[in-house]
Amino acid sequence: MLSRVGGLTLETISKRLRLDKRGVSNVIVAMLSLVLVVIISANVIIWSSQMSHYDWEKTQEKIEIVSAQTGRNGALFTVNNKGSLTAHVVSLWVIDSTQHKRYDVDIFINSGENSTYTRMDINLPSEDFLIKIITERGNMAILSQS
Amino acid sequence: MKRPKLSGDKRAITPVLSSLLLMVVAVAAMAIATTATYVITSNLRETMSERVIMEDLWFNTQDGSINIYVRNVGKVAIHVSSVYMNNTPQSFAKPFDLDVGGHRWLNITRNWAPEDLYYVDVVTSRGTHVGDYFKAP
Repeated sequence: MLSRVGGLTLETISKRLRLDKRGVSNVIVAMLSLVLVVIISANVIIWSSQMSHYDWEKTQEKIEIVSAQTGRNGALFTVNNKGSLTAHVVSLWVIDSTQHKRYDVDIFINSGENSTYTRMDINLPSEDFLIKIITERGNMAILSQS
Repeated sequence: MKRPKLSGDKRAITPVLSSLLLMVVAVAAMAIATTATYVITSNLRETMSERVIMEDLWFNTQDGSINIYVRNVGKVAIHVSSVYMNNTPQSFAKPFDLDVGGHRWLNITRNWAPEDLYYVDVVTSRGTHVGDYFKAP
């Protein structure tokens, strides 16, 4: 039994809706536009969140140069990773009043680890100097040595 | 049994063709729109992905120059286009590209005074700034 709405039966209304194609293209255009807007927004949001995560990782990284000394097999560096993520050290600088020397390094230090690194080709200056290390994420640690 | 004769019957072909064409046009339009969106937003994404650091700045007492060591720690290649010292543009050898993880010296010929404080700002072509204060020895 179909009820009556404003003098028309529901059967009549549904028949009219089936036959009436007006407004369909508007709906399709609206849906396509919505899909496009969702794609654009998702694209930007995904990239933004990736870079936010990258920046967050950078803030979580904390490294410290514990010591730098001349050993039997060259210069000996002890680096401590105080952060919660593994640090990848990519540069080591030895700086004194006359030179700024950079060395390529490739050391991975796990979270909480105290890592020792020896380089035979580095001669630490006899006077005051600075040791600086740079990580892949762009953080640095500095040690001033006399 | 009598088979229906389809070869001569042309009825309802036009609506099918028009629907097909409409579908092709809609898909093509969406593909173009999506590609255009990707291209338009790529600059934004690249700008968001740029990260540069100054590993070192050396006030060179031997030749009087200023040497900056820059490293690209971002997710896209960068083009270092300008360097400013105390908000004044500085001339350097040549603007250069740095791939992801790339690093190199950037030499500026400029007079500097001992004990003075300088604000050094390195700018990429996409507008990313990396700046800091450095005190001359």
